[in-house]
Amino acid sequence: MSIIGLYPTFYMPEIGTAWLIGIIGTIHVLASHTSVGAAFLFALLETKAYWDHKPELLVFVKKWGMFLLVFSYVIGSITGPGIWYSITIGSPRGVDGLIHNFVWVWAAEWVYFTVEVIGVYALVYLLGKIDARTHLKLAWSFACASWATMLLIVGILSFMMWPGNERWYLTGSTADAFYNVNFFAHLGVRTGLMLVLAALVGLIITSRIDDGSLREYTTRFLAPVGLCGGLFGVMMFLYYLQTLPNNAAVMLSAHLLPIYGRDMIAVFTLTTIYLATAWWKPRLIVSTVAVGMFLFVGLFGVWPEERMRESMRKPFVAGQYIYGNQIIARDVPGKGIHSEVETIAQEGLLKVHPFIPERLRTIKEQNRLEVGQLLTKIACANCHALEPGAPLRALPDKLFRATDEDLIAAFLRGPLRHGTQPYMPRIDLPEEELSAIAHYIAAVNNGEDVDRVIAAQRMEATSTVGK
Amino acid sequence: MRDPAGLPGYPRLFQALLVLTWTFHIAFVLVTLGAASLAIYSFSKRETNPDWQRLSIALTKVTKVGVSMLIVLGVAPLLFVQVIYDPEWYTANILSARWAVIFIFALIVGYCLWYAFYYANHEGAKRRARWFAIGALTLFCLDGLVMHVFSYQSILPSRWMDWYAPYGVVDTSGSALHAIQWSRFIFIMSLSAPAVGVFLLSYVEYFKIRPDYERSYLDFVRRLGRRFASYGFVLSLIPFMIWQFTNQSGLGLETNPIGWLLALAIILAGTASFRLQAAGNGCLPAGAGVLVLMLLAIWREVIRVHYLGSVGYTVADYRINLDWPSTLLFLLTFVGVGGTVGGFYITLLYRSGRVRGLYEAERSVASLGTAAVAVLVLWIAVFFAFGLVIWLRHSLVS
Repeated sequence: MSIIGLYPTFYMPEIGTAWLIGIIGTIHVLASHTSVGAAFLFALLETKAYWDHKPELLVFVKKWGMFLLVFSYVIGSITGPGIWYSITIGSPRGVDGLIHNFVWVWAAEWVYFTVEVIGVYALVYLLGKIDARTHLKLAWSFACASWATMLLIVGILSFMMWPGNERWYLTGSTADAFYNVNFFAHLGVRTGLMLVLAALVGLIITSRIDDGSLREYTTRFLAPVGLCGGLFGVMMFLYYLQTLPNNAAVMLSAHLLPIYGRDMIAVFTLTTIYLATAWWKPRLIVSTVAVGMFLFVGLFGVWPEERMRESMRKPFVAGQYIYGNQIIARDVPGKGIHSEVETIAQEGLLKVHPFIPERLRTIKEQNRLEVGQLLTKIACANCHALEPGAPLRALPDKLFRATDEDLIAAFLRGPLRHGTQPYMPRIDLPEEELSAIAHYIAAVNNGEDVDRVIAAQRMEATSTVGK
Repeated sequence: MRDPAGLPGYPRLFQALLVLTWTFHIAFVLVTLGAASLAIYSFSKRETNPDWQRLSIALTKVTKVGVSMLIVLGVAPLLFVQVIYDPEWYTANILSARWAVIFIFALIVGYCLWYAFYYANHEGAKRRARWFAIGALTLFCLDGLVMHVFSYQSILPSRWMDWYAPYGVVDTSGSALHAIQWSRFIFIMSLSAPAVGVFLLSYVEYFKIRPDYERSYLDFVRRLGRRFASYGFVLSLIPFMIWQFTNQSGLGLETNPIGWLLALAIILAGTASFRLQAAGNGCLPAGAGVLVLMLLAIWREVIRVHYLGSVGYTVADYRINLDWPSTLLFLLTFVGVGGTVGGFYITLLYRSGRVRGLYEAERSVASLGTAAVAVLVLWIAVFFAFGLVIWLRHSLVS
């Protein structure tokens, strides 16, 4: 009997770990992209202050720096590792695969990250305390180091979508994985976004400056940078769409754009109008509007963008070789990795999973519902909530709340077993495991209190053994 | 359960990096926890002596920066532990998954509370401001406990099924902290007292040439530092000794020389803090403190190796898939960027902090700054040039 390297399952009712990762990820993107973009705007403003003899600009830079320190480096630096923790508990083999492909890239990013954290304190606290030329070097080196963290992480993130061709599967080389077909487009989108976010946060600070002419000057400096960043980001996004794999394109056109498409166009249009207004009439920008606009872009721009990026990858979580349900989907000869789908099809999840209690390894009438529930959590819950009406692609809803076991089993035996739906993994299980899953889903859709029934069946089984 | 991709480098190298980077991380953890505790105590004593107020404000700032540093320095050991101990680390986390989530939000809330205390802690601050700090410190300690649990659970694989499926009933809630070794946790936390003591001695050494740091204030800080460092080290021996004898039996850990070497180092560090400072050399206790932490990091690893060795796990037989280009990327970044850019920032902070008023960079520091910018521009240029070649090759192939 083979045992494959699956981990225990953590199930978060209603929202699943996918939403948890998404929430932490969105907060992190807002904070980290703002900080990288702001680092460049800092350096530019400081250079202008130096060359144009405008020391009053440094007052703005200092204020912005303090905000940046608190917002980006408190929230950003914690949510960064926070994403790791949330992926660890939601998708351990996904993160494990990424780490074993990119450990040295991540280690290099850590060097930059450390330099950046020391740098931000130096940048803010040494402004006005060291000579201007030296501080300029500090500002520009900080900007480059900040952007380097983005350069390094984008390669890993875009590999999560797909390598883009067969080469990496054959060589296993980190460079082939990192500089994938998606990389430059993805980098462009994020670079544009960082400038927009930095401009939006910058406008929050300018809106609170009392000196009218300084406020006007800085607002007029930030707004066009944000506009150019937005335009560049959108152009790169259109290019990005051309670099997606088939499963992502199908997911996008069939499921995601109908939900998020209009909202995203609205966010882009409103942000453009807002930034153009700031450029044209700087005095119209007041703090409440500036804060509201930043939150608006975060909630209706970044959150859907992160959700879409996560969803488009499905059924994979990394490099189109690890499924969302943690099963290795294909061979990667360059790394000596073998697909596990066939092994599971032959032996069943109950036999090959190391974290199945002995009493559940064999299906009996008294534990069929319990086994069905466990198998559904293992095979489906990474992408689907198991509660009817839950926000994370609720499994009962996806199956139209069908209560007919045969109907559900027919879907499991057909498209799912053969992997014919591009955004669903191929889940090929032995007949008795399939029917246990169908039995469980039908019971949920039937409105049964499944946990209570399972507890009762367990009691009954125990008392039978006792007799 | 190991990742089938194997390791892109030698396992012993990752193990060494894990130990080394954890040393840096724990150093900042301990100094930060010690500084936070003493900042709160000093805050409560500020009406008795103005030195307490000044010290409280200084340590509040130290804690603020310390939290940033401990987070960023914690990323590296977190990365390396996942590389060579992936089955253990992931399982331990999943078994207490909700606590992994709590850990993140507790850290965010704790850090925000500390910032609130930082902005409130000035002359004439209201007493109730301390509640921000107490709240923050409590959450930091909770985070420490959660991390301890993950580490400890990860070396007890024989218990995993009992925790995941007690009596054969699977629990996917991840809601419990299953194993705590109090003696180990308390020992490591107790080192925050000598850590802040050693820090205070270095603080005095650093600022003694600044005219705005009066002799009386520095003497006050030195006395406090000596007391904390020397007594702190000695007292930490109590939980250490309990830890020594509560490890799993049959592994030979009680007689392992590394553990006793650590005990000896603690005694020496305590003595050094007491005696060498009397002779006026404030940086030696810091060196002794680092030695203690390095030995602690090694001892943790020795314990892990013995626990996991007893169930047949060793990092030495992890499959290797060497990847030289990415290894080179790290090494060059570490030396080039870490050395030049990091060196520039640290030199600037160090030199400017010792000067009252404007600091004009000396020629060597100015050159280091130019080199830092140049290294980064070069790094980015190579990154894109190399990437473009690979990317074009992919495009042509496909």
